[in-house]
This record gives sequence, C-alpha cells and structure tokens, in this order.
Amino acid sequence: MVKINVDEDACVGCGSCVEDCPNDVYELDKEHGKTVVVNEADCMACLSCHEICPSQALEHEDIHVAKRLYIDRKVNKALEKII
Amino acid sequence: MEIEDIRGNFKPELIPKETGGDIDDYEEALHVLMKFIGSMSSALEQVSGRGANAIVYQAGKRMGHEAGKLMEKTDDVEKALWEMGEVLGKEFYFEMWKPSDQEGYTIESNGETSVKLLFSDCVVRQALRRTGLPQKGPLCYLLYGYMVGAVEEVMDIKGKLDIDHIGPNACLKTLTIKWGGK
Repeated sequence: MVKINVDEDACVGCGSCVEDCPNDVYELDKEHGKTVVVNEADCMACLSCHEICPSQALEHEDIHVAKRLYIDRKVNKALEKII
Repeated sequence: MEIEDIRGNFKPELIPKETGGDIDDYEEALHVLMKFIGSMSSALEQVSGRGANAIVYQAGKRMGHEAGKLMEKTDDVEKALWEMGEVLGKEFYFEMWKPSDQEGYTIESNGETSVKLLFSDCVVRQALRRTGLPQKGPLCYLLYGYMVGAVEEVMDIKGKLDIDHIGPNACLKTLTIKWGGK
C-alpha cells in the first residue's frame, strides 16, 4: 500500500489536494488547518496532489514512478550551472 | 555542434543488424518527435476545434485494430487486457485498478462490463509534458482510440474508454464493454 507523508510544517492548509484528489484520500483538519491522510488505500499514485500543492508538502513512498522521458538532460545540465 | 560523417559500404539488399547511434542520438530523436507530435496536436486543435479529438481517436482506433489482429481472440476481459498490455509494451504500462471497497476489478450493469485502468507510463503524457500542452486534449484520444480498437478486435464487441482522472504520474480510465457484438 502507498504510504503518504504530509510535512505539517510546510502544509498551509489550502485544501487544494483535498479538492483535487478523485479518491478522497485527504481531508482538511479544520482545527489545525492542515491536510490529513484519511484513505491511503485508495491512492492510485497519480500525483495530482504533488502538482497542485503550493508548498510541496506531500511525499509518496513506494510507488511506481512513471518514466520521465520528457526531461531534457542538456537543458538540465545548463541549468545546473546557473542554479 | 559538430556533425560526424559516418561512411561505409552499403548494399540495399542487406538488412541492417543495428540502427547505429548511441543513447544521446535516441534521446535527441525522441525529443524532436515529441515536439513534432505536440505541435501537430495543438495545430490540429486550432484548425479543427473539437473535431481534432475525433480525427486522433480514429487514427488510434485504426492502430488498435491493427495491433489487435496480432492478439489471441478471447471473451475474457482480463485476458484481453493482459494481451493488450503485452502488445502495448512498457511505454504504455497499465494495470487494472479498483477502489478498496470494491470486490472485483469488473463491474457488470445493464449488459455492460466496465473496468478501471490505471495508466502509469504513457508516451502521450511524456510528449504533452515535453511540449507544455495540457492533458486530456486531442493527443490523449490516440490512446483512447488505440485501446478501443484493440479491445474491439480481440473481443469482437463494442467498447469505449472514458478518462476519469489525469495526473502527472498516472491517469485513471474506465473501459466499458458492450456485449452483443459491434
């Protein structure tokens, strides 16, 4: 089963992941203003939540990571010199 | 950039044993192709509007029918999907998916069988991300058509594929099979 970690210090409680997840994996803890994982079993590791999270507070463990053939290594190499 | 001139003897009747080039050449070719496909898709959408989806769908369906001819005919949905996975290969890695509270992968209702498919690796998604195009556009209909074409060919039935959810790492689709012939 997928294990999801929420970085509580980073989470701003915007609720974007709660709205975006099609399988209701997350809920917003209104008292603490943070996202909590309530339904890990239904996570299909689409990672829409990663893309929408403004603070990159989410981490998925032990998932199938899709190939990233779109990454241009030449561009990355050039960027590495700047960043 | 320096272009290397490769020279050698060549007889047209000989079948080349290898394509030549190295991984960097392949990467470059792949990226150029992804950019071409992305540009074609966006131009098609600009010219034909929503009709672009139908054109790409038809192209995919034709490819699916051709691929389906290589597969063993079956009435078993799960077996057909396994066969399709073998033919589609690693570039379209998919598996059946179900919510945790659902017993089996297939759902039967009103003479239709539906199964949810989770596409993890997808060349179409790669091409869209390479060119900065949104998912669920005309290019996604290529895979849609391909799956429908292949399943129609293998099972001799009518099928449709709906996109349930799109994500950067996986997309969830529902394949619906209508029993009773085409």
